[in-house]
Amino acid sequence: MPVTDNEIAAAALSALPHASAKRLLALWKDHGSASAAFDAVRSGSTTDPSWNPYAAPNGWPRHAEPDVITNTMNRRGTRVLLPGDGDWPIDVPLDPQCALLFAEGSRFDALQRRAVGIVGTRSASPHGLADAYELAGIATKAGLTVVSGLAIGIDAAAHRGAIDRDGLTIGVVATGLDVTYPRRHVELFSRVRDHGLVLGEYPFGVGPQQWRFPVRNRIIAALSSTCVVVEAKSTGGALSTAKRAVDLGKTVLAMPGSRRNPAAAGTNALLRDGATMLLEPRDLFTAIELATQQRVIAGSDPQWAQPSLFSLSDPAQRILDCLAGDSATVDQLIGLTSMAAPEVAAALRELERFGKIERKYGKFWPR
Amino acid sequence: MLAAVRSAAVHGIDGYPVIVEVHVGAGLPAYDLVGLPDAAGRESRERVRAAIMSTGLEWPMKRITVNLAPAVLRKAGTGLEAAIACGVLAASEQLPEGALATTAVIGELGLDGTLRHVPGTLVIADALARDGVDRVIVPVASAREASLVRGIEVLPAQSLGDIVLCLSGEMCWADIPPVADIPTEVGFDDALDLGEVRGLEVARLALAAAAAGGHHLLLVGPPGAGKTMLAKRFPSIIPPLVHDAALEVTRIASAHGQASCGELVHQPPFRAPHHSASAAALIGGGTNARVRIGEITLAHKGVLFLDELGEFSPCVLDGLRQPLEDRTVHISRAGVSARLPADFTLIACCNPCPCGLTGDDCRCNEVQRTRYRRRLSGPLLDRFDLRLMVEGPSATDTRGASSAETREFVQHAVDRQRARFCDTPFQRNADIPQRWLDRFAPMTPQASSTLADIAEVRGLSGRGVARVWRVARTLADFDGSELIDVAQIDTAATMRDEVI
Repeated sequence: MPVTDNEIAAAALSALPHASAKRLLALWKDHGSASAAFDAVRSGSTTDPSWNPYAAPNGWPRHAEPDVITNTMNRRGTRVLLPGDGDWPIDVPLDPQCALLFAEGSRFDALQRRAVGIVGTRSASPHGLADAYELAGIATKAGLTVVSGLAIGIDAAAHRGAIDRDGLTIGVVATGLDVTYPRRHVELFSRVRDHGLVLGEYPFGVGPQQWRFPVRNRIIAALSSTCVVVEAKSTGGALSTAKRAVDLGKTVLAMPGSRRNPAAAGTNALLRDGATMLLEPRDLFTAIELATQQRVIAGSDPQWAQPSLFSLSDPAQRILDCLAGDSATVDQLIGLTSMAAPEVAAALRELERFGKIERKYGKFWPR
Repeated sequence: MLAAVRSAAVHGIDGYPVIVEVHVGAGLPAYDLVGLPDAAGRESRERVRAAIMSTGLEWPMKRITVNLAPAVLRKAGTGLEAAIACGVLAASEQLPEGALATTAVIGELGLDGTLRHVPGTLVIADALARDGVDRVIVPVASAREASLVRGIEVLPAQSLGDIVLCLSGEMCWADIPPVADIPTEVGFDDALDLGEVRGLEVARLALAAAAAGGHHLLLVGPPGAGKTMLAKRFPSIIPPLVHDAALEVTRIASAHGQASCGELVHQPPFRAPHHSASAAALIGGGTNARVRIGEITLAHKGVLFLDELGEFSPCVLDGLRQPLEDRTVHISRAGVSARLPADFTLIACCNPCPCGLTGDDCRCNEVQRTRYRRRLSGPLLDRFDLRLMVEGPSATDTRGASSAETREFVQHAVDRQRARFCDTPFQRNADIPQRWLDRFAPMTPQASSTLADIAEVRGLSGRGVARVWRVARTLADFDGSELIDVAQIDTAATMRDEVI
């Protein structure tokens, strides 16, 4: 489907300096459509005289020229979603408002499904990353779209969990869609485009700026029917998403953690303040069913992955008992279990084979 | 009058013969030194003149020209001064004709005519011997070092006066008193014993495997976990060098000008440069005049210990990659180039992240951790056969084997390797080429399937599998077994972890 004039007009107007969402929405309301508004601004015949400077000779910036923007959009396959269109995904009032969304990706049907936001801190623990990954996979299997922010840490784990289970996922970015931030997620961005959409409200060329990220979080909250915070520090972006979700009347779920884990401080505080506890996948689906008054899953409840279909050998069980949920190096395990090094090594191989432990930072972590 | 005196100079870790030609002829009194001496060599003029005059001999008031042949090579250092002085004396007929025909002279001169030690005496004397020189006159301080070379007679002299008297037959070489013995240095600190380390059983095993098989070892852990404590005790468990290797190490030490006790160095070198080391200091470098030996060459046949690996400049560390693979380094500068040996075992320590703690206590965010990790490039980390996380011992841990016990254990494995590799170009398990692993490191069928299983679960590359295999070979040598079993594969795989 070719890009429509309306989309190009909206994208061009949004690229103008001082084109805030509020002003753009007023402009489109005044003129009926984005393309009509564009013609009016070009010819200097708007009702709001503050748009008039753009009608002057050389008043229109080069990067906002429709042909430049059309080229970029065609090359990148970018679409523009506008309020009032059939596929406008946001059904709640936003503050600050949102005048348009740029979208890139191959699965626009991701917007049609019910969505769950899975967010969390960038400095997550291995446990938190595993939980986010697993929860996203389970949500995907129940037909939900996983929405997150394409940041490192929990966000990336959630996107990957959905993609690896062949589900749909939406990444909402706080930059122009032609900017990849963080840079190391180049591959993740392209995988999210293949398995869903990358959305953003900022025109091309807008780089990462600190203040835009909390503002972006309101879109994650608005797209999600419920919002899960897997791990959050006591300050940071994940809590801002939770706050936006509460403001929009969405259910917020949080996973509890140890008070010694700084990455669980924020989620524990959310739970104290009334967030719903997420202990098992059922809790997520109950929250969505309560919110939407519709069944999410038929049949038996999905469970956290139970990797062991095998019975463990005695040394392996002993090591698992000694770990007791904590991590340890191989030397510490030898000290704890008083077993010989080759025996411990063999037991660790068995545990790793069955997915009971994970290697990270040179230590062994129970799953 | 014309005279020629044989001598030699150092280039890299080798010596090369130099002929000092002196012409004393008619003309205004002048002294010219040609043949590319370095700055120290150019200053030798004053020392040579003062030494001759202090000895009570005559400085010819004529036009003196000294040429250092071959004239195209740059001559570094001051070892040619005694030869220049002898040349001046011979050319001015103060020495009997033909006295220096098959005798070379090396030594630095003091203003009073004494002869001082020349760095690199061993390689210089070796070069002279190979050049067909029968006798070499050396400063007494260098005599023992020079006498390590076979096939050349060493004539020690205390001063320029001694040389003149002996050559003119007024004194006998044997009358010159030898220098007192310099006390032999202990190669390692006896106070550091592996027995003081509590627990850390796998880490100690990894240390022993590094000592026996030549595997590179990376220890990662929080501050105070015992990484450095272990690494500092490494020299106490390495077996002594065999004769050929000891000669190579002694040659390098001599060429580098290290104080020498005049005996072969049998203790493998242990080099521990600070993390502010530059690329030239670590790898080797040089100027137009001379090649400078780097730490990796000084650690040849021994150990290069890099504490706080993460604090080294990343480009300096990446300079190690090629020498680690080739076991030699080719230094090339506009004016000079040299191939230097660099067959060392790399032992490195670092913290897992900037705050040094791991897991839940870590105060670093993912960005800081990634930035820290990026300082150590993947190819460099890949070259460590042994990568281990070390966290402090627990209260219940007991003391382990002492250095002496471990050394015996290691020696046993080294002997097995020597017998196995006697007719191959490599000597240690770490050097077995991948295609020969089947032949030199056979496994039981169970061990083979275990290795395949580990490779699948952990996603090991072909190279990663080969590294686990080589370490398992060393562990099997410890156990006195020719066939690798499951236990050794398991332990070896545990000792190669994604630590960072």
